[in-house]
Amino acid sequence: MIRHRWLLLLFRVIVGGVFIWAGALKIGDPLGFAQSIKNYQVVSPTLAFLIAVALPWVEVLSGAFLISGVFKRSSALLISLLLLGFIGLVALALARGIDTSCGCFGSLSRRADLSLILTDAVLLVFSLCVFFTRPARRNH
Amino acid sequence: MKSLLRGVLTIIVLSIVLGAAVNLRLLRRFAAGEFRQGFIDRREYAGIRFITLAETEDLFAERTQGTEGLLFIDSRGGDDFAAGHIPGALSVPLERIQRSRKTAPGLVTLDFPGAQTLIVYCEGGDCQTSISLAKIIHDKGYKDIRIFAGGWAEWHAAGLPEERSR
Repeated sequence: MIRHRWLLLLFRVIVGGVFIWAGALKIGDPLGFAQSIKNYQVVSPTLAFLIAVALPWVEVLSGAFLISGVFKRSSALLISLLLLGFIGLVALALARGIDTSCGCFGSLSRRADLSLILTDAVLLVFSLCVFFTRPARRNH
Repeated sequence: MKSLLRGVLTIIVLSIVLGAAVNLRLLRRFAAGEFRQGFIDRREYAGIRFITLAETEDLFAERTQGTEGLLFIDSRGGDDFAAGHIPGALSVPLERIQRSRKTAPGLVTLDFPGAQTLIVYCEGGDCQTSISLAKIIHDKGYKDIRIFAGGWAEWHAAGLPEERSR
């Protein structure tokens, strides 16, 4: 995997920053986010509400931990799993012909479409690079 | 591996605790039965409420008998509206309104002269356009908005009067 530490740091800052931003925008409007989740027509309203309460915090914390380096690989794993879930959800919505806003950035959200899947896929690659790169052992 | 999972669990548990702590009041309101029909904050949107088919029928009957100030609003797309709608309903496709708000916000007036009680509906089932449109209309100053959650599907299934337009 990638050994260039500055490149990995850049990946961490990009992915972590996007997740902090996305989570922070949703923390202030849990009902709006719950509505966005419900629009995908995959989970019940109760589950949509509970996800809307907790998920933004998962995004903010994992993003912050990824940048800071605390629980770095755990955060990268969690973010990768979330991104896989987001990609699957948007793909499912497209396949079912559901025309909705992604809900990913609160009121600044864009349409759930193919370009969103591509964006998530790029973030997923960055995140997986961080996850699969183990810290180099020091030889003294 | 253990430390990896420990880290994941720590983040998840911390997130649940923080989310629950910050949204404690909202969680209580949800537990009390609020937000089950739609995620509308009654304090923010005090003028919006959900109504059943029976209530919608009553309002339709009142309107048919000449009661003024009642207006049915169909938030579905133009084609769906043309294929069948509640008689006398006004077509206000949410998609068009949202597009206009982005391209020419000054031109979106949403004025319904003479209307005091607005009954908004969409397809029914999981459709959300009626809720979104109701919020927009509420923000324009209308304070008596009813959302017919069953929507067109329930109205049509009940064999109630229909109107088609070309």
